[in-house]
Amino acid sequence: MRNDVRDRRTAADLSQSELGAALGVSRQTINSIENGRYLPSLPLAISIARHFDTTVEDVFHPDGKEQ
Amino acid sequence: MTSHTILGGHRRLATAIFLSAGGGVAAATWISGAHGWAIGIAAAYLVLAAITYLWSGRSGDIAAVLRAGGDERQRGLDRDALALSAQATTVVAVVGAIVQIARTGDPGVYGLLCAVSGLTYAGGLLALRLRR
Repeated sequence: MRNDVRDRRTAADLSQSELGAALGVSRQTINSIENGRYLPSLPLAISIARHFDTTVEDVFHPDGKEQ
Repeated sequence: MTSHTILGGHRRLATAIFLSAGGGVAAATWISGAHGWAIGIAAAYLVLAAITYLWSGRSGDIAAVLRAGGDERQRGLDRDALALSAQATTVVAVVGAIVQIARTGDPGVYGLLCAVSGLTYAGGLLALRLRR
């Protein structure tokens, strides 16, 4: 599953540590999510989407294709 | 702004576990009469506890697990590592029981380990399936 977390984070001029602190997770977890090594839980995915003022479907792409 | 996320947990937890375990092993070794070994074991566990305490103050994955804290991914790492450890222990217990039965006809302590492993797994499965 691909995601746009890195693109949205850099567009918002946030470091991985800053995004992690805002979401209550570690920098390492943000890094793992961005690299596709870790699939976040539904609550965390929703928190990520809300942080970027968008929807989960806009951030995470189950079919591996960006919309 | 640079921030370091240290997510909860108890920094003294793993340290206390090492100190308790080391104290117990060292005391048992002392009682057995091997005083030199007992002092060596106590010193080794003290060093291990000190390293654990210092490491658990960091912000990485291992530190979070040592604090029994961290976020969902770090707790998942802890669970998976624990499951791997349990599987390895069970394999050793089963192989040990088979070897012991072949040698003496009695599985000995390996049999107890197999029983505990099997019963806790079955009990855990029955209890946990009710929660999800």
